[in-house]
Amino acid sequence: MSGSSSKPRPTDEELMDAYVDGDDAAFRLLFERYAPILLRLTRRHLRDDELAQEIVQQTFFRLHGARNDFRRGSKLRPWVMTIAMNLVREHWRRKKRRKMSDLEVDTQAAPEADFMPIELRQRSVLLHGALERLPNSQREVIELHWFQERPYAEIAQIVGTSEGAVRVRAHRAYTTLKQLLVSEIRGDE
Amino acid sequence: MTSPSDRPDAGLGERLRELDAAGTPESGALFDEMFSEMKTRCDESDRTLAGFLRSRSTSVRRAIVLSIFALLGVAGWFAFPLIGAEGRTLQWTASLVAFCLLLVLAMFMVTRPVHLPAIPRWQSWCLVCVALGATVVAAFWPVPAALAATTHDHGGGFMAGACMGVGLLLGVPVYALLRLVDRGNALGNLVAAAAAGVAGNFVLKAHCSIAGTSHELLGHASVALVFVVGLSLVHRWIPSETRH
Repeated sequence: MSGSSSKPRPTDEELMDAYVDGDDAAFRLLFERYAPILLRLTRRHLRDDELAQEIVQQTFFRLHGARNDFRRGSKLRPWVMTIAMNLVREHWRRKKRRKMSDLEVDTQAAPEADFMPIELRQRSVLLHGALERLPNSQREVIELHWFQERPYAEIAQIVGTSEGAVRVRAHRAYTTLKQLLVSEIRGDE
Repeated sequence: MTSPSDRPDAGLGERLRELDAAGTPESGALFDEMFSEMKTRCDESDRTLAGFLRSRSTSVRRAIVLSIFALLGVAGWFAFPLIGAEGRTLQWTASLVAFCLLLVLAMFMVTRPVHLPAIPRWQSWCLVCVALGATVVAAFWPVPAALAATTHDHGGGFMAGACMGVGLLLGVPVYALLRLVDRGNALGNLVAAAAAGVAGNFVLKAHCSIAGTSHELLGHASVALVFVVGLSLVHRWIPSETRH
């Protein structure tokens, strides 16, 4: 996972174009760029490491299958994010349908590791707990807006709704999160 | 990128990121392993017919499906005798046109690109319900009894079973084709099942001259129901993770 420095760094779209033309190395580079972002995204949503990795792989598997739909001039990031968010939503629906929504299992599978300082781990648990309490539609907007730093217009494209609706969801989510995390925030001020 | 005005509370945002950064760090080895696993799956998939078809562009996939539908339709239309001219009423024509439209709609749903937001599930369910409803409504527009008496004289119950068998048989290739081009749309299996039922009904409606709503309900409309209920049960029992 090392990048070369002499050549100008190709854009995601250039890499995708190269991959569509049969350059496997470009696919590898795209994976190196997006897999860490997607893994963090899916971990936050699913709180299950193995499942998050599976969703990331599935995202690239679908990207591979859909590569011939990629048109020059399109932006790749919304593509990848949409595929991943569709998979996450599909997972939640399936899970709901199978009535397997045991929060205990989720909490045990949370991504916090032993090496993390206790205080930091507690805060991380608090954050994930607060995010988990948000409805899925709000959580995915927060995910894309704050963590991925996507503009509202792009988020609207990814989640398949209007920009106004995304703004409303974000506002509601931030208000809720603020209430949930108020003690945590105050604690450090 | 987000503009400062987008952010309702900068302190909260910073806090979220800081807390989130405390997650598990990723190692290069993990991504190497993930990539090689995924690439193997891609390569294996490329060697299959489904992988080949799914990796075509959406316009090509749709053209393939429409061509095969047209080919099957034309072959079926001319290979077997149509019902008599007296039976080709306005309702008969309307049924066939409705079935064609439903097939095309199902094809568009199933071949939807995965980089677009998923179709809301209620829309897929809506199509399935409309497809089932259309087959039932068509059964209430049966062939005129006078015409049927001159063309066929079979036992109604037995022939309902025969029609159902033929309808199911004819629906299988449609179902298989739609599954082969589906890149993994949610409820794509149910939409394909409904399309298969509609395709079976199309052929039966065009060629079966047996009169009676009961025959059409038992022998024709049941095809769509069997497909949808049967395949939804199969998909419920077999987790989709193992199928893809």
